[in-house]
Amino acid sequence: MIDPVLLGHVWRSQRTKVAAVALALAAWAALLPLIYASFGQDMRRILESGIVPQSFLDMASSLGGGDIFTLAGSVALGFVHPIAVALECVFAVGFASAAVAGERQRGTLEVLLSRPISRTELVVTLFVALAGFVALTVGAHILATVASAIATGVAGELDLSTFPLLWLNGVLLFLAVGGIGLAASVSTDRLTPALGVTLAVVLAGYVLQILGSLWPDAAGLQPYSLFHYLRPQEVLAGDADPWSFVVLAAVTAAALACALVVFPRRDLAAPT
Amino acid sequence: MTAIVTEGLTKRYGGGAHLPRRSAAAPVLALDRLDLEVRPGEVFGFLGPNGAGKSTLIRLLLGFLHPTAGRARVLGIDTEHGSVAIRARTGYLPGGIALYDGLTGEQLLDYLGRLAGRPAIRRAELCDRLELGRTTLGRLVRDYSRGMRQKVGIVQALQHDPELAILDEPTEGLDPLMQRAFYGILGDLRAAGRTVFFSSHILSEVERVCDRVAIVRRGRLVALEEVATLLARRRRRVEMVVDGAPPTLDGLPGVSDLAVAGGRVTLALEGDMRPFLGAIAGAAVRDLTIEPARLEDAFLELYGEEEG
Repeated sequence: MIDPVLLGHVWRSQRTKVAAVALALAAWAALLPLIYASFGQDMRRILESGIVPQSFLDMASSLGGGDIFTLAGSVALGFVHPIAVALECVFAVGFASAAVAGERQRGTLEVLLSRPISRTELVVTLFVALAGFVALTVGAHILATVASAIATGVAGELDLSTFPLLWLNGVLLFLAVGGIGLAASVSTDRLTPALGVTLAVVLAGYVLQILGSLWPDAAGLQPYSLFHYLRPQEVLAGDADPWSFVVLAAVTAAALACALVVFPRRDLAAPT
Repeated sequence: MTAIVTEGLTKRYGGGAHLPRRSAAAPVLALDRLDLEVRPGEVFGFLGPNGAGKSTLIRLLLGFLHPTAGRARVLGIDTEHGSVAIRARTGYLPGGIALYDGLTGEQLLDYLGRLAGRPAIRRAELCDRLELGRTTLGRLVRDYSRGMRQKVGIVQALQHDPELAILDEPTEGLDPLMQRAFYGILGDLRAAGRTVFFSSHILSEVERVCDRVAIVRRGRLVALEEVATLLARRRRRVEMVVDGAPPTLDGLPGVSDLAVAGGRVTLALEGDMRPFLGAIAGAAVRDLTIEPARLEDAFLELYGEEEG
């Protein structure tokens, strides 16, 4: 089901990008314990003085960080922050949507599929590659968080046993996004529609989640967003909801199944 | 076992489940009940102008497309259920091949060779004949000229010595010297008993290298014959200058469009030439030009008949 030659080729072609994204995520993740260690207590004092409006704090809390002036809160906020999401989307959106549609648009899919590789094998191999990239980059985020917390002497404020679950939560979210990207990629002959659909899913989901956080009347829309099921605050508090993991895994499986059904049945006409 | 056989193979784009998006608006019958048989060990030419259905057939044979009706078998394997097995025994050169620009020629051939799952036993020889040296293969594909890309395309299709080579416009972009080298490679493949399915619209090269040809027009088979038979059947222009009385050629088998003006005789000659040669044997022929039979004319004649 997995072609090791193709997998090796995909890895070699993406390894520089993987390293760059992992480093960027690690730098971002390391920043949060550092900021907390340096300014956290000062910030808490400012907060408790009543200068910061309560509505702002409520919003910050509802975006996923919880109490952002605890270490767990700031780590959770860093996990759902647009910077982290954008970096993860390099693979979940960029790689996944280009995986087949990009090859088709460039014309290289011809040469690839003229080899004894079934389309099912191609999709599964690309999905495994995607899973590896997501696992590595989310892992870099988690490891850098832990390393930074240890280095700044605040690791004791974290329950490190919850981090594997936090990693899994992040991996499942971006695999679900990537699965949708892969399904879009196998369904079109051009990169732009595949990229557009996947980006739309991400942006719409993110906006729904934010909107629901800021506007109570829109809170009912949040379950329709994949980001609703990324729960770093609850996971770090040891209060993870298994349902969040199940939903993300189900979306991933459904998207992969869709790709596996659609691609082998499609006609691959000559590139224009 | 035939190398390729198609039975009533039909492909319609549009109006079906497998339609490409761009053709969704207007259904197009790309291939219409095509019956074809390619024998093992022959070099088979598949001719037709752009849009005649050449690429559609190749894509059906390789499992890139699903037939609307009919079926095809390649090396005895059904294309709908065994395309992976077919591709394991086939080498394919797509028309206007696109390659991975970020790899060097050597990396590309290594990669595609490993994907083929068979050792690239002919690579060194092919690279040598197509003048792809180590320096060239060490450069990135993005820096290659059109001709160099085509040469690498030929090597990737044939390096694992496939039983069947499907080549779509193989000499596109090759200079005359490399075209000659390529014809030599085809000759070797034929000598080794390999089957070559060759799509082209360059009729002179098909005439030169193919044993049999199929001509398609708007998805339908117009002719399927030995090249020699096709050429023997076509009318050639004959021009002759005689001293004295011209020979009697009127009513001779195969002769038509006879015109005599002074000592200059022009006519069209078809089929067996011996009656004509016998009739002019006693004449004082000063000059005789018999235009060689060309596939191009046969092709145009067939198309003309179809139009009619």
